[in-house]
Amino acid sequence: MAKQSAILSVVISLLAHPLAASAQQPDAAEIVRGAIDHWRGTSSYSEMTMIIHRPDWQRTMSMRGWTEGDKRTLVRVTEPQKDRGNGTLMIDNTMWTYSPKVNRVIKIPSSMMSQSWMGSDFSNKDISRSDDIVDQYEHNLIGTTEAGGHVTYEIQSVPHEDAAVVWGKEVLTVRDDYVLIGHEFYDQDGMLVKKLTSLEIGEMGGRSVAIRQRMGKVDEPDEWTEVRIDAIEYGVELNDNVFTQSNLRNPRN
Amino acid sequence: MNIVLRLAWRNLWRYPRRTWLTTGAMIFSNVLLVFMISIQIGTYGLMIDNTLEALTGHLQIQAPGYKDDLKMRQVVPDAISLAASVREGLNLQTVSARGAAFALASSEDRSYGIQVLGVEPMFEPGVSSLPGLTKEGRYLDDANAAEIVIGSVLARNLRVSIGGELTLLGSGRDGSIAAGIVTVVGVFHGGNKELDRGIAEVPIGYFEDTFDMQGAAHQIVINAGDYSKTEQLVQQANALLPADSKLVVHDWNALQPGLRQAIQADMGSAIFMYAVLVVLVAFSVLNTQLMSVLERTREFGIVMALGLTPGRLGRLVMLETALMGLVGLVMGSVLGGIVTSLFTVKGIYVPGMEEMAGQFNLPSRMYPQVSALTLIAGPGIVFLFTLLAAIYPAMRLHWLQPVAAMRAA
Repeated sequence: MAKQSAILSVVISLLAHPLAASAQQPDAAEIVRGAIDHWRGTSSYSEMTMIIHRPDWQRTMSMRGWTEGDKRTLVRVTEPQKDRGNGTLMIDNTMWTYSPKVNRVIKIPSSMMSQSWMGSDFSNKDISRSDDIVDQYEHNLIGTTEAGGHVTYEIQSVPHEDAAVVWGKEVLTVRDDYVLIGHEFYDQDGMLVKKLTSLEIGEMGGRSVAIRQRMGKVDEPDEWTEVRIDAIEYGVELNDNVFTQSNLRNPRN
Repeated sequence: MNIVLRLAWRNLWRYPRRTWLTTGAMIFSNVLLVFMISIQIGTYGLMIDNTLEALTGHLQIQAPGYKDDLKMRQVVPDAISLAASVREGLNLQTVSARGAAFALASSEDRSYGIQVLGVEPMFEPGVSSLPGLTKEGRYLDDANAAEIVIGSVLARNLRVSIGGELTLLGSGRDGSIAAGIVTVVGVFHGGNKELDRGIAEVPIGYFEDTFDMQGAAHQIVINAGDYSKTEQLVQQANALLPADSKLVVHDWNALQPGLRQAIQADMGSAIFMYAVLVVLVAFSVLNTQLMSVLERTREFGIVMALGLTPGRLGRLVMLETALMGLVGLVMGSVLGGIVTSLFTVKGIYVPGMEEMAGQFNLPSRMYPQVSALTLIAGPGIVFLFTLLAAIYPAMRLHWLQPVAAMRAA
């Protein structure tokens, strides 16, 4: 009996699939996967500016970043002079940091992953986010809007029961060309805590990218961190040793 | 009035045994109250002083908002020189400037997030007990050395001992990346897990360089020696602040609101017990006085027939009670004071209390504290309730009919 119903459900889903496709109802998980792939599906080299804004002060840092796939990232600070050479290396969900002042590579313990990254509004977790959101969340399409020749999908992602995530849910807004428009983080009580917004979208490195993104806490509107991409190149050839602790310490590129 | 007083005193001793029994109950409860309240006040004092001695101090000068936000940029500018002028202005050596930052401390193979305090090695021992509790190695002595003193639990967690190196990584005042390598010179056993696990101290000069403080710090900690002097010092410290500064002075109650709440909760349950004791004594007095009035019905009938007003008779009964209460008050206070004073030197040891006492930063021996307040508060209330208890017997005299009273058995 069980076998029969299993076969039946496969048949129904086979029948149902083309129907869904014809109704132009894309799968939410696929959109998220697409957005992640678009963002970092291949290798890239970028130059960025990070602005940390506070009510009484503001700080600007310049950085260079290398990525390969969605698992490997290296970020190195170039400006200001004082912080030059500080870097962060992420492989999978593990994070190392290097500071030339102490000439030491330190692995960030998992208990520190929710702490701020380089004093910004991004947490270590935000920076090292890899494809966790694809396989540890349940995705649902909750809205579709059309504007400026683009369709925008709003997707609610709820972490699985056993996922090691502090958020109750996340809402991603993704354009049909897979550019991430917004990312909202809700706590366990369903209150919006912080959100990432793409302020400027443009062509760069041969594709549409969010050139200016701002992360800010909802209850502190005057505190935010903006990341601006100054230059980006996709599909670059990266040496195997780029994503190593020794390269984090002694730059060879 | 003199005659009434004399009458009252003689009436009281007409049945000495009964009077002594009632007075005895009063004396007993008064001794108990003096003793218990003295222990309580003594314990609260110790609890406050010991808790605050560890780190907080009795009062602190801070930037407004720092207490709640603990942000790196909410600083006390020129902290070391301000601390020096406060020290001079208050004529008190126990004043010290302190910077505080959150940092990741890493040893060879382990990392933990901790609070790093930048302290004045010369003055910190005056405001905190941690320097004195640095039993392994030594405390900091050079204001600029790259040295660190850590808690015993942290040392164990990081698997580091004296002479080992730690890397500190955090954010500076300007948001830049702060990093440094320090040598562990001492390990303290604060007796409190929170402190031993999450606190480390470095010299303030080194702290300012590493965290880019530009001469500023976060707290100026003042130890008043005794918590009862806090209020006065808060006023004096406020007067010492530079006129144009926005700095604020917080007392220990604002810095550690949990402490007063714990005391209030304990006081609440104690007051309930005392109330039961006082009410019991009051009823025993009511019983005695009612008896003595009832058995004198004939006598009262005769004196009323002779022209004594019920009001004067009522005053007589009240006066009898008051005299009895006064004897209980004086003897109870004196005896209670003597008994309690015996224990102020030796303390009281309650076996099996160490664990609980440790939680409240208390020694396992309790020392009562005798003062005018502890001597008078309990017995005074007992006296008041004794008088209240005599009102009903005294009032009964107003309804007394002289003729009927004289015929009563």
